[in-house]
Amino acid sequence: MDGSRPVPLRLWDPVVCITHWTVAVCVLLNFTVVSEHSELHEWLGYVALAMVVLRMIWGVVGARRARFSSFPPSLTAARDRARTMLSPGRHGHGEANRSHNPLGALMVYGLWGMLFAVAGTGILLENFGEASQIGEVAEEVHEVTANLLVLMAALHVGGVLLESRLSGINLIRQMTWSRRGKSGPV
Amino acid sequence: MGDTDSKARLRRRVYGLAAVLVLQSVCAVFFVGDAIRDLHFSGLSGHDVLEAAVAVALVSGIVFGAIEMRRTIEQAGRAEEAVTIASGALGTMIGEHFKHWQLTGAEANVAMLAIKGFEIAEIAEIRRTAASTVRAQLTRIYAKAGVTSRSQLVSLFIDDLLGGPLPGMEATEETSSAER
Ligand code: HEM
Ligand code: HEM
Repeated sequence: MDGSRPVPLRLWDPVVCITHWTVAVCVLLNFTVVSEHSELHEWLGYVALAMVVLRMIWGVVGARRARFSSFPPSLTAARDRARTMLSPGRHGHGEANRSHNPLGALMVYGLWGMLFAVAGTGILLENFGEASQIGEVAEEVHEVTANLLVLMAALHVGGVLLESRLSGINLIRQMTWSRRGKSGPV
Repeated sequence: MGDTDSKARLRRRVYGLAAVLVLQSVCAVFFVGDAIRDLHFSGLSGHDVLEAAVAVALVSGIVFGAIEMRRTIEQAGRAEEAVTIASGALGTMIGEHFKHWQLTGAEANVAMLAIKGFEIAEIAEIRRTAASTVRAQLTRIYAKAGVTSRSQLVSLFIDDLLGGPLPGMEATEETSSAER
């Protein structure tokens, strides 16, 4: 009886949603409008770091779909996934609903790693000052990793849009609070 | 009704817990950042041991809050599952009626969607047919079931589900059957 019904819309839990959009806003603000010498820049950076730390804890003890074990990093799985995405008409529907797809998972771990690098070097920079030797290195690394982070985020958004089109599942809506009353565990 | 209430309550609880977790995390990171700055300027002291203890307490608080939150989410998931199981039992009963009325497979499918509250346009979309087809199927379903509308179709099952008159409700039962 249920065979003809569309795949139910599963939503990410609020921890994933809140941490994601807070990080995205903080990073984009810091990269674009907020002056890099202002206190606000450091505060936003700390808030983004806090969100990633919370997400790490949630990745260990959190809801099933959000746990790291639900989307282990795997190069082979990611390669298979890329191949499936590139060959028309062969993209699976059901599996897209479980967690991040293997290709997306790689990007997600990369983004988190880069966030730690940017925040870590930012904190070093703040504590040692640009004049010191550590500060000088930290400044270089901070700048390079910040640029890389935003580049990866751009690729990430591109991947999200592509995957949404191919699978017919609106991934962005799963990451927001719309329609939460209709389906999904919470 | 009671079920949607408890679901809404669980959802509010989940969002409340999420807000607290976010706040705790921001505080913890600011606190640790501040502690590192102190360390940098004044070297290690007894004060730092205290700060380390506070940091550990803050992080444990987050971990326990997160575990509590996962429990709440799982509880909400189970509540939803219970609804599915209930509709499973009801589904069997409905299926028996369908057999009795000799609905075709397509008609049974349409009838089930109609009972679940989908509009004609939605049923057409789900089954990838024209709305006029669905309308014709519904007419046949109503004829076979001996009713004239969707609400009558649904109330057939409500009657069955409730079984007999509810205790203390005989009078109301009579008026409602008189209405019909
Ligand atoms: C600098 C900006 C951004 C960063 C650092 C970032 C980072 C991330 C990370 C780490 C995840 C994994 C989430 C988790 O499991 O907790 C994620 C997922 C996601 N992000 Fe972003 N993101 C950014 C911007 C955006 C933007 C602008 C959009 C909207 C177009 C977006 C849409 C999504 C979606 C839809 C997912 C879920 C993907 C899936 O279903 O597998 N992100 N992002
Ligand atoms: C998390 C997201 C962050 C992003 C995207 C980001 C991005 C940037 C960028 C693009 C610059 C300019 C680099 C240059 O041209 O030299 C910069 C500079 C700076 N950042 Fe960040 N940052 C982040 C976090 C932080 C944090 C957490 C801190 C410290 C607590 C911090 C401290 C600084 C400082 C002190 C500078 C000034 C460097 C200079 O004088 O050129 N940043 N940041």
